[in-house]
Amino acid sequence: MSLDTVVELRKAAIFQKDQLILSNVNLKVCKGDLVYLVGKVGSGKSSILKTLYAELPLKVGDGTIAGFDLKNIKRKKLPYLRRKLGIVFQDFQILSDRNVFENLQFVLKSTGWTKSKEISQRINEVLEKVHMESKILKMPHELSGGEQQRVVIARALLNDPEIILADEPTGNLDPATSEEILRLLIEISHTGRAIIIATHDYPLIKKFPSIIYKCEDTALFEVNAPLFDIEEKILDQFVSKEGDLEIEELGN
Amino acid sequence: MAKGGKDKTSKSFKNRLRSSYFTTILSISLVLFLIGLMGLLLLNSQRLSDYVKENIGFSVILKDNIKEVDIIRLQKELDATHYIKSTEYIPKERAAREFSEELGEDFVTFLDYNPLLASIEVKLYAGYANPDSIAVIEGSFQDYAQVKEVYYQKNLVHLINDNLKRISFYIFIFSLLLLLIAVVLINNTIRLSVYSKRFIINTMQLVGATNSFIRRPFMYNSIFQGLLGAAIAILLLLGLIDVAQKELSGVISFKEYELLSILFAIVVAVGIVLTGISAWFAVNKYLRMKADELYY
Repeated sequence: MSLDTVVELRKAAIFQKDQLILSNVNLKVCKGDLVYLVGKVGSGKSSILKTLYAELPLKVGDGTIAGFDLKNIKRKKLPYLRRKLGIVFQDFQILSDRNVFENLQFVLKSTGWTKSKEISQRINEVLEKVHMESKILKMPHELSGGEQQRVVIARALLNDPEIILADEPTGNLDPATSEEILRLLIEISHTGRAIIIATHDYPLIKKFPSIIYKCEDTALFEVNAPLFDIEEKILDQFVSKEGDLEIEELGN
Repeated sequence: MAKGGKDKTSKSFKNRLRSSYFTTILSISLVLFLIGLMGLLLLNSQRLSDYVKENIGFSVILKDNIKEVDIIRLQKELDATHYIKSTEYIPKERAAREFSEELGEDFVTFLDYNPLLASIEVKLYAGYANPDSIAVIEGSFQDYAQVKEVYYQKNLVHLINDNLKRISFYIFIFSLLLLLIAVVLINNTIRLSVYSKRFIINTMQLVGATNSFIRRPFMYNSIFQGLLGAAIAILLLLGLIDVAQKELSGVISFKEYELLSILFAIVVAVGIVLTGISAWFAVNKYLRMKADELYY
């Protein structure tokens, strides 16, 4: 493992409960990399991410992330692993009993921030990055899906993590906002952070090409971008149709 | 834009205080009231038993022709012992008068002399008013030269002691039952309120909070609820004592600051300890659970 490698899975098998999802998984992500994980629904993209943040135990194979050994990590060490990661959860995982500010404040306080002025400042910074600063006092249930998603992205940025794991971060966003979020993530990756994005958003991948891994038939493999292009041509047509549809709807 | 953290938290904090905690605090306070009631019952039963025991009289019959000074010296010596609560000197004349009143006949003029002896009426502290101690004390009285004999109703002492033992045993069992109910109810209440936040606990773990950091606010909250519940329970108890004082005599009164403050301190302590321990175990349970075990 070179010095720049921050995420690595070697011959890993990934299970949900006792069901095998992916076997012989090899994945290597270095500082500054932006990696897309693609694949059909249920092909194991989320499971890989969950394994990386140790929500699913790594039983077979080896894995390291941010210097932690995923196979032998102790429960007590989990919080410290998760502090090195910024995680955008597919199901958001917002604390439903407190507003946006308090949600972000919880993360900062739990990771050792004590000065309320600094906390307030940092929260405003990350919310500005996702254009949510006007919703700072809203409760989660008062926000739309896209707004909640952006809060979660803001939360993932709070502690300037070494690695960002994003599970469908643009799933609830309109194309323009999606682009903006991706630009933001790319900008972050340029500062030497590793970013792994699980996504279905092929137009976006086309627009911002990078390393692509695909999950298919219990295997994970790297796809060359041009090959990927050909593969997704049929899908492209489908997407453009869908785009037309959207425009029509807007016209009405 | 850069408002202080306080402003941003105040609204939802108020909401929280208003809504979900009301029922929890109410159940806690009612249970603590029950505990306080039990305490009052125990204190009053103790008081009743002490009252009965301390009224078991002992007659120390004195020899005839003893000087008044010797009698007074004996009385003082008895008063100085740690087991005697009160002594009363009953001279011959008074004994005769009281006995005549009982008989309804003036036997002194009939007999032409007073056959009764002077005595000292002794009352013991409750702690010594049991058959074993009485036997020892009886022996020590007979060592005095002035004493002719010691007289008390052995059967009565036995009877009173047996009955009081039985009654306090039942009250004790009843109290244990109440305490058990209190533990179960408070534990349930706290567990339910933690259960309703199990997904929040899971989320907190996912964003990198340590277990102790997650546990802390739950502990503070529960202990705060315990304190508030105890305060309400104490108000209810004070109301009850007020009513009981007017209706019944001999029950505990407001003037007994010491006993009352001990009782109230126990209520507060039970409130804090029970809620704290319950919260600790309830939160730990969900901290140990995996996310997919939470859906039940």
